[in-house]
Amino acid sequence: MKKKERSGIINPIFTCQPAGAQYVSIGVEDCIGIVHGGQGCVMFVRLLFAQHFKENFLLASSSLHEDTAVLGATHRIEEAVDVLLMRYPEVKVVPIISTCSTEIIGDDVEGVIRKLENGLLKDKYADREVHLISISTPSFKGSMVSGYDIAVRDFVREFATKKEPNEKINLITGWVNPGDVTALKHLLNEMDVDANVLFETESFDSPLMPNGDAVSYGGTTIKDLESTGDAIGTLVLNRYEGKLAADFLETEFEIPSIIGPTPIGIRNTDAFLNNLKKMTGKPIPESLVRERGVAIDALTDLVHMFFADKKVAIFGNPDLVIGLAEFCIDLEMKPVLLLLGDDNVNYSKDPRIKEFEEKVEFDMEIIENADLWDLEERIKNGDVELDLIIGHSKGRFISIDNDIPMLRVGFPVYDRAGYYRHPIVGYSGATWLAEEMANVLFTDMEYKKNKEWILNVW
Amino acid sequence: MPYHTFKCSKCIPERTKHAVIKGHGEDLTSCLPLGYLNTIPGSISERGCAFCGAKHVIGTPMKDVIHLCHGPVGCTYDTWQTKRYISDNDNFQFKYTFATDMKEKHIVFGSEKLLKESITEAFKAFPEINRMAIYQTCASALIGDDMDAVAQEVMNEMPDVDIFVCNSPGFAGPSQSGGHHKINIAWVNQKVGTVEPKITSDYVINYVGEYNIQGDQEVMTDYFKRMGIQVLSTFTGNGSYDDLRSMHKADLNVLECARSAEYICNELRERYGTPRMDIDGFGFKPLSESLLKVGLFFGLEEKAQKIIDEETARWKPELDWYARRLKGVKVCLWPGGSKLWHWANVIHEEMGVEVVSLYTKFGHQGDMEKGIARCGEGALAIDDPNELEGIEAMMELQPDVIFTGVRPGEVAKKLRVQYLNAHAYHNGPYKGYEGWVRFARDIYNAVYSPIHQLSGFDISKDEIDMDNGFVTKNIISDAEIDREASIANNEREYTGKYDCVTHLREKTY
Amino acid sequence: MDEIQNEKVEQLVNYIMKWSLWQFNSREWDREKQNEEILKKTMQILCDEPVDNGTPEARYYWSEAMILSSDFKTNFEWISQMKKTEIKKLMEDLKNRIDYLTITGSLNAELKVKRY
Repeated sequence: MKKKERSGIINPIFTCQPAGAQYVSIGVEDCIGIVHGGQGCVMFVRLLFAQHFKENFLLASSSLHEDTAVLGATHRIEEAVDVLLMRYPEVKVVPIISTCSTEIIGDDVEGVIRKLENGLLKDKYADREVHLISISTPSFKGSMVSGYDIAVRDFVREFATKKEPNEKINLITGWVNPGDVTALKHLLNEMDVDANVLFETESFDSPLMPNGDAVSYGGTTIKDLESTGDAIGTLVLNRYEGKLAADFLETEFEIPSIIGPTPIGIRNTDAFLNNLKKMTGKPIPESLVRERGVAIDALTDLVHMFFADKKVAIFGNPDLVIGLAEFCIDLEMKPVLLLLGDDNVNYSKDPRIKEFEEKVEFDMEIIENADLWDLEERIKNGDVELDLIIGHSKGRFISIDNDIPMLRVGFPVYDRAGYYRHPIVGYSGATWLAEEMANVLFTDMEYKKNKEWILNVW
Repeated sequence: MPYHTFKCSKCIPERTKHAVIKGHGEDLTSCLPLGYLNTIPGSISERGCAFCGAKHVIGTPMKDVIHLCHGPVGCTYDTWQTKRYISDNDNFQFKYTFATDMKEKHIVFGSEKLLKESITEAFKAFPEINRMAIYQTCASALIGDDMDAVAQEVMNEMPDVDIFVCNSPGFAGPSQSGGHHKINIAWVNQKVGTVEPKITSDYVINYVGEYNIQGDQEVMTDYFKRMGIQVLSTFTGNGSYDDLRSMHKADLNVLECARSAEYICNELRERYGTPRMDIDGFGFKPLSESLLKVGLFFGLEEKAQKIIDEETARWKPELDWYARRLKGVKVCLWPGGSKLWHWANVIHEEMGVEVVSLYTKFGHQGDMEKGIARCGEGALAIDDPNELEGIEAMMELQPDVIFTGVRPGEVAKKLRVQYLNAHAYHNGPYKGYEGWVRFARDIYNAVYSPIHQLSGFDISKDEIDMDNGFVTKNIISDAEIDREASIANNEREYTGKYDCVTHLREKTY
Repeated sequence: MDEIQNEKVEQLVNYIMKWSLWQFNSREWDREKQNEEILKKTMQILCDEPVDNGTPEARYYWSEAMILSSDFKTNFEWISQMKKTEIKKLMEDLKNRIDYLTITGSLNAELKVKRY
């Protein structure tokens, strides 16, 4: 494991913490987050979501301007909360998400929330359920990944209560797509496991209805969040996108948790089902044996013929990159370069990274705090030869300019149609990933006339 | 005063003077909303910040420049690859973006060292680029880093490089417009006059407020070059850093987007006596008069007229084909700034569409003056609209199509209103004669989309059409028009290519 | 101003508002100068009087005036029927009206801002 060798960044892999908190916020019903900072911190993140999902999501800004940047801006929060509540009568949850500017000027968000709770909410909104949550996500720490982790914890911490055991498991999916949630719910259903899927994005993929009344919103309710305290256990799929909340629930309510693995690929999906089994005592049913078989069948057609020894570079959210790399290895591929895009010091201690370091017999570079120049420079210098790149759309020109095929996976993907709809987790996700990798390679062979005739017979 | 109050905004009295309806007999002395005031927190306005106005809108279109933001990584990431300002150097400016990636320790102990390292690393990574713009963000402004000093230090150590410093943090103004202003003034103060250009013509212009969206700049400079004019610089689309340092040597500043770039034209007029000429690159008549006007200035009006005649003959029959079919189409003209006045009248005059509403996210009262002057009676004009107001307006006005940005376009989609991208265009460029036909074509394709028609059917209630296996958009559009007249008039659909820009780069003049 | 004259002025005002941009510089002092110079030169052209276009500044105003006068002649045929004194009066009334709409009666609060 190496670190990026430069101080600055050329073509970042991630955006900053508040974006992660905003992603969590849109996963909750009747919730509109207020981002406390400059307007760009919201406007561009909303644009990013709109580009990825081709949908609109609601987030507000406290609209920091010159005067308030110097003198303090807590009054902007007060005004924002009031304006938002007046005009959106359905809103019950308002996270106040901080940014670099308001952290530097030292605005006391918790203080202003107490003030609002004892003032505005009592006086003006007495008969209305309103929860204000302070989420501290300074942009100069971590990345959108840690912002997601922090916000999940802060939401859970705000609402979790212990009443009656609900016989459910908490499932914290991490930063996934609607298609992933559908796939996960399917697996849970087959396992007959009752799960509380948190910050769930399935309904982000909303319809265009004849009467024009559809909107995209997250499916997690206040009730769902409250009942996290009554669960039999918490399953966190992505270590860096939900573990903080699981740790909180474990400490506060003694709810046991299992962290990972990200169910990308056959082996990790097997482990996911095993974790479900361990946590609930439910057996893995025949239907999933069969479903797994369908996936294995599809993979068998591809692996030793097309994938074996293909060199891959992967960038994106750390759990995603690690999961994809593990799957690629099972597919006989060689993930020779992994790029983890922030300075989280825990990556080097991650058991999965250690396993790569100990067991992989080919040269595999793992770079933390990486940027996309770490990838492109190696390609341009000839330090790495690649057959495939896997990552999100911000890396598209590396693929285009260097003639290396690329499968879009992760967030954001805005230069391929409908990718948010397809799962990459579970057996169906394994099939989709492998088949899309194959199709990307096939198209590339045809464009380059590189043994394209091989596909004459397959 | 014909103010319009939105139902959804009754509870925020500060909004009452931000929307007007242009009634019969109303003029600018009685019908103008407030503008460019601080945003109401929590209103879910569409505005961005002054950093993006400087870096993303005006700075980054400069093509041969390393664009480096001094701050946490988000400002850089978020303003990267979300625009379509292309360049003829393979789009270096939007392919590569640079950040110092300021972290907590830098906030505490300062980050000037980090900035310097990032600058030198960036130059090292791209040895063929020796020009750089560095942009302040909220974070670097608040901790008070002296970016000018760092830039000067690097320039002293590396004599081949030149660095422009833009101090426009996100909070510097009510919207992105604050950043437009800051970068205009910073450029004229720091850089204009520092390079003496090679003058190759007796007729020299700067083309200002033009960002080469999908190739607009290349289309327009083609006309200028055909007239024998030297386009010394473009501020800033497809523009070159050193060319822009020599802006003082032009005979005329030809200004397109006055919202974002009138400041520099005004300053150049004051400091160097260079006249400012506002033009319109959109629409046959405004464009023709613009070319003629520039021609007159240089005594090149005959050459201008030749271009006008050729282009009009080539493209007018295609514009007419669409205009006949777009008559009466209701439009919400909801861009960021300047298109509200560039398009307000000419899309009505030349395409027959009805502008039922116009708005500006970040414009000033001056933009609204132009927009309201140019739109028809009954139009609803909104300053700094927020999400609920936009929805209420669409529900009330029932437009066929809105011209706006990507995300608001998604809002419209759900309401069954078609959308065209007013900032980045759908299939542009939209400037130039051919571009204007492309715009008409895009509106037509949106409005008469068979899928759009299907989206309104409720299969649980409405009778399902069992007679048609398909419907073409022509069937929908031509139901009520005089096809014979269209044919007799030699009107035709667009005949240009998907890419109408790249071939211009090979052209010699 | 009688009603006919008023009607004529309004037609010209409407034309300028719909098709021109020169009247909307951002500051009061610029608007005064633009209105004055361009409308004066337009009047001179319409009245076949000599027009100064010797300096870059004058040349710019003249270019705008050439377009405007040509458009006026094309779109408002009645202008060519008018006597020169009538045109002068018309253009004077037009200038007053444009000044009122864009300067003295303007609601644009930024016109008085001291700097660009």
